[in-house]
Formats: sequence, C-alpha cells, structure tokens
Amino acid sequence: MARERWSGKLGVILAVAGSAIGLGNFLRFPGQAVQNGGGAFMIPYFVALLLLGLPLMWIEWTIGRFGGGFGHSTAPGMFHTLANKNRFVKYFGVIGIFGPIVIFVYYTYIESWLLGYSVFALRGLYNRCHDHASMTAFLDAYRGLTRNEYFSGLATAYAFFLITFAVNLGIVAFGIRRGIERVCRYALPVLFVMAVVLMVRVLTLGSPDPAHPENNVFSGLGFLWNPDWSKLWNGAAWERFLREPGLSPVRLAHLGAALNGRVWLAAAGQIFFTLSVGIGVILTYASYLSPRDDVALSGLTAASANEVAEVILGGSIVIPAAFAFFGPVAVLQSGSIFDLGFKTMPLVLQKLAFAPLFGFFWFALLFLAGITSSISLAQPAVAFLEDEFNLARKEAALVFGMVTFLLCHLVIFGLGAGVLDEFDFWGGTFGLVLFGTVETILFGWVFGMDRAWSELHIGSDITIPRFYRWIIRYVTPVFLLVILTAYLIQDGLPLLTLRNVPPERTLPILMTRIVLVLLFALLALLVWLAWRRKASPQGAV
Amino acid sequence: MTRAGWVFMLGTWLVILTMFVWALVRTFRTRG
Repeated sequence: MARERWSGKLGVILAVAGSAIGLGNFLRFPGQAVQNGGGAFMIPYFVALLLLGLPLMWIEWTIGRFGGGFGHSTAPGMFHTLANKNRFVKYFGVIGIFGPIVIFVYYTYIESWLLGYSVFALRGLYNRCHDHASMTAFLDAYRGLTRNEYFSGLATAYAFFLITFAVNLGIVAFGIRRGIERVCRYALPVLFVMAVVLMVRVLTLGSPDPAHPENNVFSGLGFLWNPDWSKLWNGAAWERFLREPGLSPVRLAHLGAALNGRVWLAAAGQIFFTLSVGIGVILTYASYLSPRDDVALSGLTAASANEVAEVILGGSIVIPAAFAFFGPVAVLQSGSIFDLGFKTMPLVLQKLAFAPLFGFFWFALLFLAGITSSISLAQPAVAFLEDEFNLARKEAALVFGMVTFLLCHLVIFGLGAGVLDEFDFWGGTFGLVLFGTVETILFGWVFGMDRAWSELHIGSDITIPRFYRWIIRYVTPVFLLVILTAYLIQDGLPLLTLRNVPPERTLPILMTRIVLVLLFALLALLVWLAWRRKASPQGAV
Repeated sequence: MTRAGWVFMLGTWLVILTMFVWALVRTFRTRG
C-alpha cells in the first residue's frame, strides 16, 4: 500500500501549526501566566522556547521524516530504526501513542464544551449569569456536577460531545490530505481572523468602568509584560542553600526555591503543551514527508506561527479583557484556565455591543483551535494500526474510535472525581517530558550528533546556527532531565502517593490509574505482536 | 505598564512577527 503524502510543504506546515495552535495558546497560556506572576513567567517561557521548544521541534520533524522513510509513522518503529533495531527501545516509543490517546480523550470532551458554549453564546443562554458565581453554577450544571435552573443533567453536554467526537473521527477517517490537511487549510486562516478581531476589540476597551480608571487593558498588558526579575530569585532561599551541607533533598529544595523552580517548570510545561512537542504527533505528521523535503524551515515556520498565536494573540485577549473589567485582585483569584475561558471571558463579552457575536467568536475560535489539535492527537494511534497491522484507514479509525469512546466516558462521568486531572498529568504533563527526554537522548546520543545534524539538514531550505548542535546534544537533555526530576519530586511523588486527595476520590483515581496502566500494557503488547508478525515469514508481506 | 514593559512587549512582538513573516516568505519562495 502506497504511503500517504501531504500535498505540499504548506500543507504539512498548516497541519503542524494547527496541531500546535490549540487551547494551550488562548486558554492555558494566559492561565499559566496569571498563576505564575505574569512578567516573571515570560522570561523562563522564552528561555524554554529557545532551549527546549525549537530543538525538540527540529528533533521531532527530523525523526519523523527519517522514520517515514522506513515506513513507520509512529514512535515505536522510529525509535527501533534510530537505535539500530535495539529490541527494547521500541517500547519507549509506546509513550508516543499512549500520550496522544490519553490527551485526545479529555481534550475532545473539553472541545465539546466549546462547541456547546458557541451555540449558547448565539442563543444568549448564559445571559442570565451576571457574576462569577452564577457562571460557575452554569458551567457546573452543564458538566453534570450539579443540577440547577440551567441544566438538569448531562444530556446537553453529552449531545455536544457526540457531535464533536464524530466530527473528529470523520476528519481522521478521510485521511491525511483529504481530511486533516483540508480542515487545517480552512480552519487556521479563519481562526487567525477571529483572534485578530477579538484582540482589536479587547485592546480598544480602554477603561470600561469610569469609577475604576485603574482597571484598564494596559494594566493587564503590564501584568504580563513588565519584567519581574525579583520573582525569579529568592535571596533568602539561596542563603539557606549555601549553608546546608552535602547534596540532600532539603538542600535541593532550597535551590529550587532560590531559583523559583515552580515558575520554570510551569514555563517549560507550557512550551511542551503549546508546541505539541513530546507528544508524538509531530513525528507522525512529519513521517508523511518525502525523504528530501525540508524540515528545518518548516519546523521553524510552524513554531513561529504558534508563537504569534500564543504570545501576540493569546496574550492580548483574556488577560487585558479580564483586568479591564474585573481588576487585578479578581483575576488573580480566578486564574485557572476554565475560570478564565468559561467564566471570566463570557462575562466580559456580555458587556460589549454585539455580545452574542463576540461570544460566538470566542468559543468558535477555541473550538477551531481545539479541533485542529485533537485530530492530530488521533493520528498516531490510527497510523500505528495502519502501518504495523495493515488495517485500512477507515478500519483503523473505527478501532481507535471504539477504544477512545469508551475511555471518554471515564472522563465524562468521573469529572467530579478528578479523572480528567489524572489523565492530564500522566498523558499531558509527565508523559510529554518523559517522551521528550527519551527522543532527545536517542537523537543526539544514540543516533549520534553528526548523523543527526546531517539528517536534519537534508533538503533543508535554511542552515540552523551551529550552536544549536551543542544545545541539542547537551543543553536540551540536561534541561529535560532536571525538569523530569523536579516533576517527580514536586508533583509526581505527592500525586503517586495520593497525598492531598480526599478519601472519596481515592477509589476513582486508583481505578483511572489501573485503566491507564492497562492501556499502556495493551499498546506495548500490540508493539510486541507487530514485531513478531514482521519477524514471521507470513507477516512480512 | 512600565516603559520596560512596553519595550519588552513590543520588542518581543517584533521579533516573533519578523521570524514568522521571514519563515513564511522563505517557505513560499522555495515552495515544493
């Protein structure tokens, strides 16, 4: 069976940019900035972009195209080829299929809320909510967490979920060129236009409340952009670090506090999430390139499109609007992404002329951003079934659909028990850093930097500055190992031992973990079966 | 918003937009 190909360079760039530009740009980025001190967050953010984001982008594009040349679209086959057919390395690649499936499951459900809210905006269904508390009640009832005058059950949310899920699956079933590429070609320009319209409207709000002229868009922009070095350095903790002897965990904790490690971790996590690196989707997308197609410039173009959408557009909508209408205190108290996106923004947009239209623009923009990302999350598993088990695309999409449809129900009905957060941590946070670390070490150390650098520049339209060779080999892996260790100490261990988990949530969370372990084991078994098939004379067709 | 904030914001926007436009133009010029 002939491998599918993108129609051209622009097609793959739009698809990768579509994958990268998602809820992370317009919701997670402002949410992270609010939670991590605004101006203090931006400095580590750009450091992480240059030392982690761009290198990983180039690494994934190169590994993807390289693996595609051997008929592999997913990480197990690619890692197997990179590591000279080492029999164990392919199992690390399972993370590159597991992660996208796990993220797809909860991401699609959140995406369906956006579809629902865009309809609600046009029909003015949340217009009776005039404060944060009533918006919370509206959202909670929609998600089935409570019953009230807005919703008496999950039926509405479930209907929007079914539509969103079917649309995702339909696009993936149409294939690379006729499905994914075609959707991204139309969705991305529309998304940019909507975001620019919203940004212009927000930036021209000025000071909406004459009684509080200090609440204005510039105070929001100032929060995000006034550089704040003080929050990146804690002198007292540094003194404690110097006084403590040896290399004890206490001393490391002082060092982390001195450098404000939490902000650096948040910035690095945001870079992973926003650029869609460390997930496995770019590997799969790049595998549909021809062996001599450029990857260096294409990777840079996709990354810079994502940064325009995140830093310029994403940074100029939610935060300035929220500061102008509610002031810094209220915004800093409600900095979670769901608060900003589903409560603060609808309240702000309600106060404008043409409120239904702007409300629709906001949620439709997020829905489009979401769908171009979720289809990319579906692709690795579908491609794995196609490549390694010779399933037809529609069959592979159907199998993927059946498994993820079941998993989605865990998230839908276990939302109040913290199932979504559990999926997000293992699939969308820890999994990304772990996978990024593995692929960076494989690329720079196992495949070898000389071969890696040559491979990266095959057919290249630009020459990447030579110091990136050094960054890819030394700086990126060390940065990743530090982040991975810090994640384990800071979030992983408390999470693993269920610290701070209320007793009523213990069982659902443990069950979720068992499901996730079983899913991983199933995927590892499929990899083992696929390679056994290939080794047998009948399988090697 | 402080003067340093304006410089940081507009400088960053300029760098990102320049990189994006440059990359896009080069992509179109060598479009294959």
